[in-house]
Amino acid sequence: MSDVARTFSLNAQWELTRLRRSQRIWLLLIPPVAGPIGSAVADLYLHVPTRATAQILGLLIAGGLAGLILLDLVALAVGEDLTLRAHVTFFALPQSRRTLLAGRLTVVLGGAMASYGLSAVLVWFASAALVAPNPLILPIFDPGHLALAVPGFLLFLAGVTAAGAVFTRTASQGLVAGVLAGVVVAGLTGYLLAFHELTALFPVLLAIAGGGAIGWALDRYPTLGA
Amino acid sequence: MPPGAIEVERATKSYGARAALREISFSITPGQAVGYLGPNGAGKTTTLRLLAGLDRPDSGSVRLLGLDPVRSHDSALRRVGVLVETPGILPYVTARDLLSHVARVKRVAPSAEASQLRDLAGKLGFLDQLDRPIGSFSTGLTRRLLLAVALVGDPEVLLLDEPTLGLDPAARADLRHILRELRRDGRTLLLSTHLLDDVEEVCSRVLFLRDGQIVGDEAVELRPVDGAGNPLRSLAIRFARDVAEAELRAAVGAGIEVEPRGPRDLRVQFVGDEERQAELVATVVRSGLPIVTVADGSPTLGQRYLERVGREDPP
Repeated sequence: MSDVARTFSLNAQWELTRLRRSQRIWLLLIPPVAGPIGSAVADLYLHVPTRATAQILGLLIAGGLAGLILLDLVALAVGEDLTLRAHVTFFALPQSRRTLLAGRLTVVLGGAMASYGLSAVLVWFASAALVAPNPLILPIFDPGHLALAVPGFLLFLAGVTAAGAVFTRTASQGLVAGVLAGVVVAGLTGYLLAFHELTALFPVLLAIAGGGAIGWALDRYPTLGA
Repeated sequence: MPPGAIEVERATKSYGARAALREISFSITPGQAVGYLGPNGAGKTTTLRLLAGLDRPDSGSVRLLGLDPVRSHDSALRRVGVLVETPGILPYVTARDLLSHVARVKRVAPSAEASQLRDLAGKLGFLDQLDRPIGSFSTGLTRRLLLAVALVGDPEVLLLDEPTLGLDPAARADLRHILRELRRDGRTLLLSTHLLDDVEEVCSRVLFLRDGQIVGDEAVELRPVDGAGNPLRSLAIRFARDVAEAELRAAVGAGIEVEPRGPRDLRVQFVGDEERQAELVATVVRSGLPIVTVADGSPTLGQRYLERVGREDPP
């Protein structure tokens, strides 16, 4: 195994150990459990008129829950060591600091995405089971598009949170940056929706921006020992 | 000539307008244990941070086992154990989790990992705490764990910043014993500390640092020598009354150096063995000068520290 792959794998395992020992790993169960339940309750009690609208509602709940968990996990994966000054120990070990962070981020980002994916699938089928289709009422957009757009949004949140944690060298400030970014995106989405300008380009741009922010965080992280 | 284990060549480091290190140079040969002494803010931790690759010098160079710790980070640090500053530790992981992760990063063979962790935890006195969360550890226990982190992988070079900080006297004695063993095993040690006892017990050489500059580089057990290089014995004599330098000089005769240290305290230096020393004391007694005490007059490490570094912390 190459040095890079080895460091990546060891730090991914270390992140799993951290998630397990801190009990944060249980957070990943929230979207697949609370998403379908919340969605079903809304479907039944709000008398959602169509299956597609119910699916949109459910996906928003699943995406929102996954987003909140992602913010927490990414902020701590990047910023907890910096806040506690524990990074001094890990930076003085024979390993690439950039790969170290990549390994940790992959676990939390992958975990949150998987959690969203599972939640989305469950929500999709729960809505289909609970709400009858109504071809006369059109949803505001195709729920399938939303299902694919949410990962772009999650990647954006992860990027802003990681970059915020690196920039401020704290987990809490990274979390605040991520929350603010989420609010801005929600507002912008509403604006674009109101003016019928919401296209597939929007989540793609979010994903690109998130990827760029993660790249920036990976680039800057090794210099934080100073 | 083989490279030194640690080589620092005209290294300079500033933080903003404050110069932390000003062109310091020193070299430590493999197997040497060196104390690094200086007041707060003298630049001790900065030096260790440069050597650990946590920071890079503004000018000059630092080398660990012949390698640049920033450019060749992985290769340089693979055979080095580092304890710099007081790093935080994630409170919810266990000591075994942390040591095991460090062992894997340092490429300890999987078959040797468990036994090495047990040995280290046993030596440092926390074997029964290995599976407890670190957040429940006392300050001293945390310090011992951090030292264990530095010792994982059987490193050739150890960079230790205040390793005995926060330890009780018994734990300090245990730790000094471990450090002496490491020195005997041929490990290279750079021990930055405020505690002169630690340096006296563990190290053979000491570097004094003040205001970012090396102001002394000498053996820990320093015996003064005369002009011809012969080792000098030194006695500090206290009298029951004021004794003039000339009075003592007349009593001891030629060839003995007499130096006043106070109205009733004088120091004599001479070349010779223990018999010569006993003869000299008897001569002074016979001369009628009222001796109260006679002690080894060689300057202690503490006195030398004060001479080189002074009493005040730098601004």
